[in-house]
Parts: sequence; structure tokens; C-alpha cells
Amino acid sequence: MSRPGAVPPLLRRALRPTSPHCYRHCTRPLRGRTVRSSGPGWLCVYACPGGAVSVVTYTEWAEKDPTPTLARFARAHTSPATLVRRWDLRLGRRHGPELGPSAERYLGRAPPTRPLWTVYWRVYPFKKKDGRPFRLFACFRHGAGSVRFFVAPADSESPTCPRCPARKK
Amino acid sequence: MAAQPKRLTIVLAQWCPHCVPLSVVQGTRLARRLKVPLRILDIDRKAEETAADRLVRRYGDPAPDYLIPQVFLEWSDGTVQHLLTGFSEEVPRTARAWADLFRSAWLRKVLGGERA
Repeated sequence: MSRPGAVPPLLRRALRPTSPHCYRHCTRPLRGRTVRSSGPGWLCVYACPGGAVSVVTYTEWAEKDPTPTLARFARAHTSPATLVRRWDLRLGRRHGPELGPSAERYLGRAPPTRPLWTVYWRVYPFKKKDGRPFRLFACFRHGAGSVRFFVAPADSESPTCPRCPARKK
Repeated sequence: MAAQPKRLTIVLAQWCPHCVPLSVVQGTRLARRLKVPLRILDIDRKAEETAADRLVRRYGDPAPDYLIPQVFLEWSDGTVQHLLTGFSEEVPRTARAWADLFRSAWLRKVLGGERA
């Protein structure tokens, strides 16, 4: 029996984007990596091979908005944590009809009817006081299913994670 | 008498590629199928922003800087049904959501006169 709020594989497949591409960094395709979190839902980091993060999603099949769960996770895994701002967290409920016939049937068969709640965390590239553009990157070398988010110059191809022992010289 | 669809509303912005032209075209198509008028609420127009914010806050997916587009179906009994919110991952994913909505059992039921 899965935890309340968990997202079954069939629904994960229905939610996945078709052919996501890196947002304003490079032309390479994105990979969605599932990351472990304390919540019951599905946390996925969409980043290019260079680590540039396009969007982070957290989905729960639940009765209430899981935005606080993603906010807590993001703050605990981001340097600096102040980068996680509430207006960068956006909610989208999925009811079934917009997810294809299999997911619609699956969601309709499981009373009480609840939607899937997806929270998106997207940090748009930004400029620091000196005018240099920066953006969010992710490092996945902190243990299986783990991630650290950090900020680096937006034009970096594959920046070094400041907290990653594996890449320190 | 059973409730009937009354109006389709899309909350959008003109600069959003998930909204224009995609959701305007698909929303027009859906409204035609349902035989209801389409209302567009542009969040960048002061006169429409208040109604858009209220709709999203009461029936949609609210957030300080909420996702667009958000699509709602109003029924003759006064209820409002949230149908779709854009997929932040990519525009083709939002396009797929519209396509799935058109071939959904939900739409078949509504067209058959059922409340779904």
C-alpha cells in the first residue's frame, strides 16, 4: 500500500512532458530526474546535462495544496535558501480529462475524487547588482536520489557545485 | 432540470505562449462544441484582472503569481468547474492537455447532457 498522496507510475507517465528543452541556457534536451523528498509525492527536477534547472515539480495525489512541502524541500536544498521565494512557486491541479484516457479512467475509479496537485518551482534567470546574469543549477552528486541547488553565472556551461566534494580540486 | 454549461472562461495573458494562440484557438473550439460563449480575461487589462483574480482565487489554482492559462466552465446552476491549467514544463504539454480534454470521457458526458 502506498502512502496517501503518492503518485502511481501510470499517473507519472501521464504528467510527463513530451520533449522538454532547456530554458534559456542551451539547446539540449532536458532530463527529468526523480529526487527523494520527505513528502509522499513525486519530486522531479528538470535540468539539462550541464545542470541548468528549467523547472522543479512536486506532485501529490491529495486533498490539499502541497506548496509548503516543496517550499520546505527547496529551502533545505538551495544555497542560498533565500532564493526560494513564494511567488516562484505556482500551483496547477490536474483532474483527469486533460491527462489522457488511462489517467482519466484511473482517477475516476478511485473515490473520493481528488485531483493531482502539481507545484512548480521556476527561478527565472536574474541579474545581480553588477549586472551579470545568473541562474539556478542543480548538482546530483550528493547521494542517490539527492540534489543540491546553487546559483552560477547564466552563461556557464556546466558550473562546479560549491558544496560538492566530488568536484572540488 | 439538469444544469447546463453556460460559459467558458479563459484567464490568460497575450504574451504567454501557452495562452496565445494555443488556448484561445482551443478554447474557441471547445466553446463551440459546448454551444456556450467564450469569455477571455486578460490579466494585463486592469478591467479584467480583478475578475480573473477572483475566479482563480475561488475556483482555480491560486498562487501569488499564478499559472496561466486557467480554464473554467460555468454552469447554469451557478457552479464553476476548473477544467485546465497550463503545464509550466513546456507549451507542447499544454497542447497535449487540450487534445486530451477534447477526447475525454468528461466531454462526451457533457455533450450527452450529463453533468460530469
